[in-house]
Amino acid sequence: MSEYLVVFIGYLLMNNYVMGQTLGLCPFMGVSKRYDTAKGMGMAVIFVITLASFVTWLVNEYLLLPFGLEYMQTIAFILVIAVLVQIVEMALKKMLPVLYQALGVYLPLITTNCVVLGVTLDNASAEMNLLMSTFCGFAASVGFTFALLLFACIREKLALSKMPKWMDGFPGALIAAGLMAIAFKGFSGLSF
Amino acid sequence: MAKKQNILSVFLNGLVTENPTFVLMLGLCPTVGVTTAGSSGLGMGLATTAVLVCSNLFISLLRNFIPEKVRIPSFIVIIASFVTIVDLFLQAFLPDLSSALGSFVALIVVNCIVFARAEAFAFKNSPLLSIADGLGMGLGFTGAITILAVIREVFGNGTCFGVSLMPAAYQPMAILVQPVGGFITLGLLLIVVNALRNLASKKSARKEAA
Amino acid sequence: MSNFAVTSSPHLRKNATTQRIMMEVCLALAPAGIAGIILFGFNAALLIAICVASCVLCEFVWQKANKQQVTVSDWSAVVTGLLLAYNLPSNAPWWIAVVGSVIAIILVKQMFGGIGSNFMNPALTARAFLFISWSTIMASYPASIVPDAVTGATPLNALKNVLAGTAAMDGLKFDYVDLLIGSHGGVLGETCAIAIILGGLYLIIRGIVDWRIPLSFMATVFVCFLFKGGAEMALYQLLSGGLLLGAFFMATDYATSPITGIGRVIFGIGCGFFLFLIRVFTDSAEGCSFAILFMNVMTPMIDRFTMPRPFGEVKKHG
Repeated sequence: MSEYLVVFIGYLLMNNYVMGQTLGLCPFMGVSKRYDTAKGMGMAVIFVITLASFVTWLVNEYLLLPFGLEYMQTIAFILVIAVLVQIVEMALKKMLPVLYQALGVYLPLITTNCVVLGVTLDNASAEMNLLMSTFCGFAASVGFTFALLLFACIREKLALSKMPKWMDGFPGALIAAGLMAIAFKGFSGLSF
Repeated sequence: MAKKQNILSVFLNGLVTENPTFVLMLGLCPTVGVTTAGSSGLGMGLATTAVLVCSNLFISLLRNFIPEKVRIPSFIVIIASFVTIVDLFLQAFLPDLSSALGSFVALIVVNCIVFARAEAFAFKNSPLLSIADGLGMGLGFTGAITILAVIREVFGNGTCFGVSLMPAAYQPMAILVQPVGGFITLGLLLIVVNALRNLASKKSARKEAA
Repeated sequence: MSNFAVTSSPHLRKNATTQRIMMEVCLALAPAGIAGIILFGFNAALLIAICVASCVLCEFVWQKANKQQVTVSDWSAVVTGLLLAYNLPSNAPWWIAVVGSVIAIILVKQMFGGIGSNFMNPALTARAFLFISWSTIMASYPASIVPDAVTGATPLNALKNVLAGTAAMDGLKFDYVDLLIGSHGGVLGETCAIAIILGGLYLIIRGIVDWRIPLSFMATVFVCFLFKGGAEMALYQLLSGGLLLGAFFMATDYATSPITGIGRVIFGIGCGFFLFLIRVFTDSAEGCSFAILFMNVMTPMIDRFTMPRPFGEVKKHG
């Protein structure tokens, strides 16, 4: 059990995919202007990455490895992710329209969110079992969402301050993200 | 878009006018992630350019055969194939660069520049123009991230492409070669670029008025 | 309701002006600075002077260059300069102080809109920035120059060894008296516990800082270490390193801590918990700066969930 806790805290603070590995910056910068959109995107990301970690493990273990096709991982995984996102979108539309309304607009964007592909590729190279792999996907995406929500709150606060005009938009957001990464830096080397 | 598109203007459009990094703000992850040394910035840029040119060419050639409805999956397969080729090529011939770039090479697949150009340009234009667009965008990206990488390497490590540059007394600001420094340096660089662009557009406006 | 927005300006109470508050903070910081100069000698005084001067100068030049109203007379840059200096080791070179001041005033404070608009504490962010960049300089803690000073490892490093099981509690070379008067290694303004507590109590009694943050911060640290290493360990941890300086003077920064009472308690507990996490479970012996910085980052979110919002209010989005 503690093994899972360590993974979870690690992805939340120390190995945070956004703050520590600078992946997923497009959605991190793009949908963080408002808390509500950030929340929608975050939830959709958790949903898709957890599912994608599960499915790509199966694909890797039963399709790629037996035939020595590891070098096809990138192609196979991105296809799985794209198809998965499509299916999730259709399934939600039919079965859970409420959830679809909340997450629907974010789903197509997730295919090109590099955290998804990054997490699944990392999982594959770490050679874990199915449960751990899926949990890693879940923890990494929760870490992503955590950073995204914190950043959205900060940007909503900054929107009310008197920043110089030339800090508006990306420059200010990038520098704010940099300062935020300093705060995450304190957790480097965290081990239990 | 009244102007007739010729190869040179398409190329320059990608390189300067619509520079993917400084103007369109696409492909942020490698821009912040791998620009810790000049060589990785340049290598990443060229790898992306190679993928971009090849995928643009292929998608343009196949644009009359790919049905509109399945174009997205088709793009993904084409782009991912070239990324895999580039990835394997780097692993075989430039192992140092390959390990410095890590998973960022595979992640070219989801670099929005490549995808955006496939969708917005190559799918609608002739092969030759698409190559020019791929080259312009790719080199624009390469130039931008190499500048960023060199700044970070010089101040964060005291070297430029591995060559010692700063006086011996200089103590490198190590934070610049970490993610923190990537965000902050890119933010500061953008402020400078935006100021230059404002200046340029003011100048041309004055010229037109005169 | 607009007066209660999560926004700019130090959240002033009563009729106090920013200037008067900042002057009182400087007064409260004075004992720790004087102690630092006595404990670490002339270079400590020099660093304090450089930090204060360059912070004020940065603010002045920035506001002049951007044609803003010059507000250096509000003393906030002086406070930032003092806090930054207190977080430097006494043998740090002059340029460290200057670079730190530029980071604190320009990058962290003015570029985000000046006083009250920054979302992270300027002095602490600058300290962390310097620490990550030049760790060998920033982590060399010279011993105090007073007679009978504790030499060798700083108390926190010694305690770290105890926590790791490589040293015993009764092998420690310092006692409560050393910690209270500060005759041991550390950054120049954090070692003298008595002087800091004196200044901190002054601020609380004058109503300038809210007691909730320092109290919940220190209580959390105490309780966590009580379970981890016993009562003596908990007390030692409380009196060592930057905890007291951070809890009284830096965690209580108006712009970067929550607005509501409950928010402040959460903030303090968070600071304490993350300090414990970093001091125990990372390679680093000290985690006060990073714990407070992390809670600075959390503050807008804490505010979001603890601020009472009138029903039906349409939130303004920038």
